[in-house]
Amino acid sequence: MPELTNHGMQCHEFDSLLADALDNVLSGATLDRFQAHARACPACGPLFAEAEAGRNWLKELTEVEPPVSLVDNILASTSGVDTQRLRVHVSTERRPISGLERVQAWLSNAMQPIWDTVRQPRFAMSFGMAFFSLSVALSVAGVKPSELRQISLRPTAIRHTYYNAQARVVRYYENIRLVYAFEASVRGLKRNLRPAEPGPAKPQQKERKNDTTQQPEQKQERNYSQFDNRIILACTPLGPSVNDLPVVSVTTYRRFV
Amino acid sequence: MEDVQVVAMLVRRCVAGDAAAWEEIVQTYNRRIYNICYRFAGSGDDAEDLTQEVFIKMYRTLSSYDASKGAFVTWVTTITRNLLVDHFRKTKQDRITDSIDTAPSEHDDAQPLSEQIQDQSAAPDAHVRSREVGETVHAALGKLSPELREAVILRDLQDMDYREIATVLKVPEGTVKSRINRGRAELARLLQRTYRQVM
Repeated sequence: MPELTNHGMQCHEFDSLLADALDNVLSGATLDRFQAHARACPACGPLFAEAEAGRNWLKELTEVEPPVSLVDNILASTSGVDTQRLRVHVSTERRPISGLERVQAWLSNAMQPIWDTVRQPRFAMSFGMAFFSLSVALSVAGVKPSELRQISLRPTAIRHTYYNAQARVVRYYENIRLVYAFEASVRGLKRNLRPAEPGPAKPQQKERKNDTTQQPEQKQERNYSQFDNRIILACTPLGPSVNDLPVVSVTTYRRFV
Repeated sequence: MEDVQVVAMLVRRCVAGDAAAWEEIVQTYNRRIYNICYRFAGSGDDAEDLTQEVFIKMYRTLSSYDASKGAFVTWVTTITRNLLVDHFRKTKQDRITDSIDTAPSEHDDAQPLSEQIQDQSAAPDAHVRSREVGETVHAALGKLSPELREAVILRDLQDMDYREIATVLKVPEGTVKSRINRGRAELARLLQRTYRQVM
């Protein structure tokens, strides 16, 4: 729009006053200057006429009637209430809201996002898995939920339970010790009944003869295992004759692993 | 227009969970919101869906309304306008940039705008003629740019004052007036052009 100055008014000023002029709120000198500019300006004059015509066209538009089901649909999609029932309820009585109801409404609004999150499938699956794991662990441990009700929490009962548990543990370890002792005696008997084992093979000792790095170990082994499986005859020098005395043979098994 | 105290009480009852208060709000404002949506979207079905969306949004954000910051009707109109702008942006790709000779909506019985004006003189009944003129203007309104359309709708169809419109559109009052002037002038030009084609 060209910025013309006609009768003391510029085009941008005319534009800002145009809406007020159409609302008939201009008066006095401002109205005179406005009308003079509209008559003289080749751009603003037609603009005023078009704006006025457009406003008159818009008066032809009447208010449209919304669909009958709109209110019911809105209520169903928001509060989810039964409109017909509500209308009857509203027409008969309108009771004040109690404090408890307000607290309930507030809690419901506050908990709604949390509840929405918890209701998601992944959280439900996690909760299910946790419950399953817990039930498996309890069944493996021998805990039965039905027995938990029968537990007495009186001090004497707790003490009695403690002593019982302690006695059970002691008995258990005593039994284990008895089993170990029995096993040891059986193993000793087997060892006595078995014939003597042959000694280590000679070639191995020859191979290791020049190996000086293992010498101290070999020496130690030689010292302690030199007379392995050798029969030692014990005899007493006293007595009438050596041939008359009984011969006692003792076999010793010395093993150093 | 609205008693601020009464509306504030109604909103408080709604927030406290009073379903009857919410229904009262829906009954009071559904007609206004539907009309804004219908004039902006141009289609009855779209207007119905958009009105429902507006109320759903209102229902969720009702507790954020502050009576000291402005009238409830301005708050409601702001929600409506924001949702309409979102809807316009979403459907921008789908919208065809048709000429004024294409049928604008199902309410026009699939008749081009020029044909509707042609039939205007033949209509014997004044009521029918008035309805047809209304449909023609409605079709022309749909041809305006969204910025001009929303300003014109709020001023000339909803009778809101410039300050309220400025609050809703988040622009200065001077801009609001300028948009209204340009919108009205553009509408007149569109309708004059159509008339010339018919004549």
